[in-house]
Amino acid sequence: MNSDGGGASEEDRPRDDEILAFHHAIRAADAEKLEFVGDKEPLSVLAAEYEAGNPVFRAKVEKLGQTYVAIRRARGDGNCFFRSFMFSYLEHILETRDETEVKRIQKNIEQSKKALIELGYQEFTFEDFLSIFVEQLDSVLPGRESSVDIDQLVEKCRDRYISDYVVMFFRFVTSAEIRKRAEFFEPFILGLSNMNVQQFCKTSVEPMGEESDHVHITALSDALGVPVRVVYLDRSVGADGKNTDVNHHDFLPPDCPTVEMPPVVLLYRPGHYDILYTREVQNLAPVPRVEEPQDLPELKGLQEAKETPVKSIQDANSTQEAIAA
Amino acid sequence: MSTSTPPQKTLSRIAANRLQKELSEWQINPPAGFKHKVTDNLQRWIIEVHGAPGTLYSGELYQLQVDFPENYPMEAPQVIFIQSPPLHPHIYSNGHICLDILYDSWSPAMTVSSICISILSMLSSATQKARPPDNDRYVRNCRNGRSPKETRWWFHDDKV
Repeated sequence: MNSDGGGASEEDRPRDDEILAFHHAIRAADAEKLEFVGDKEPLSVLAAEYEAGNPVFRAKVEKLGQTYVAIRRARGDGNCFFRSFMFSYLEHILETRDETEVKRIQKNIEQSKKALIELGYQEFTFEDFLSIFVEQLDSVLPGRESSVDIDQLVEKCRDRYISDYVVMFFRFVTSAEIRKRAEFFEPFILGLSNMNVQQFCKTSVEPMGEESDHVHITALSDALGVPVRVVYLDRSVGADGKNTDVNHHDFLPPDCPTVEMPPVVLLYRPGHYDILYTREVQNLAPVPRVEEPQDLPELKGLQEAKETPVKSIQDANSTQEAIAA
Repeated sequence: MSTSTPPQKTLSRIAANRLQKELSEWQINPPAGFKHKVTDNLQRWIIEVHGAPGTLYSGELYQLQVDFPENYPMEAPQVIFIQSPPLHPHIYSNGHICLDILYDSWSPAMTVSSICISILSMLSSATQKARPPDNDRYVRNCRNGRSPKETRWWFHDDKV
């Protein structure tokens, strides 16, 4: 069936193609307002946004400022989680110049590739997406022919071709992880929708523009071995009806060493993800993977950060809680 | 019958590469019941569909026209039946097909081959040969030559 009008109103009503052209025009106008990833902005822009708004939001935004200093917005096109993850992770590598981490994630990418093939995906369907992401990984390490600086990274993540191909690669990885561990993910998927794992992957993971939930974040974080923090900015208050502490959840992949602050930190507002910064980004000397945080002056701010206990994603109960929350 | 191509740019390098790979794979391992008619046009495939034995379309032959956009596979191809489209509750007399994966549920993880398999499965599960109830109105509205990709489809019937 199609939605073209019938009956008496048929002639007055816009046709589908006219409506769609209108939708495209709106989307194009939105795109002009915000790139795939925006500029880094001080957290005060959030305060300004809620100035006349809900008091719970205002209180939470103020508390957010104790830990986080800046925000980078992602376009709200249904791909904002994946797009924010891409930028945040690549920027983290660019800053830390952590070759060990890149070697580690490359092993996980190989694992995902193996999983996709075992699940029956033909290699030609995902190899272009995979290689675009691997190229970006290579470009954020120093001393490569393709090495980029932060401005060039921003430019690449705003390029439709590169940006969408990396997002799609993450969708492949997420789908493979969910299908591979179908038994683990099934109860969470049933909690979100009335679909089985196959249907969920086909309709809510693999098509571009489908929004992400805890299931997607858990799967991508586990598959690539990258811890992700999601900070929740919503109207909820504590059990006493007053507490406006800002909740967060750390998605920690199995076997992941404890981290003070995950490399990817996202701000979630109902229906949307943006990138958060805990401190000013500086292009500092190489920083080894954190063993003794007291030796790393740039991590000082983190110690003051208010931490809620880190939940283990391996513990299905805590994940269930997070998903139900 | 509309066989007109929507205004379309030529394939990007990566799209052309990907289609070459799909075509090679098709030649080695074509989906059962389909035959790609060889042309020198990579951007438009004409595919013969053989109705599956034991179904309402057994022994019948149809033709699909698949047009690939510049940024395939990020964007879905346009897929329509040409010449005489099969009589089916989801296939309009102008060849347009109401099938979610061709529009909203398209994913770059799909291929021409997986589209063909879905279309054959849609044909095979039909219990009656009939046009969609809104066929005449829809086809009339398409007289300006619009693509089925410019339709806002409602996929409210999973049974057929």
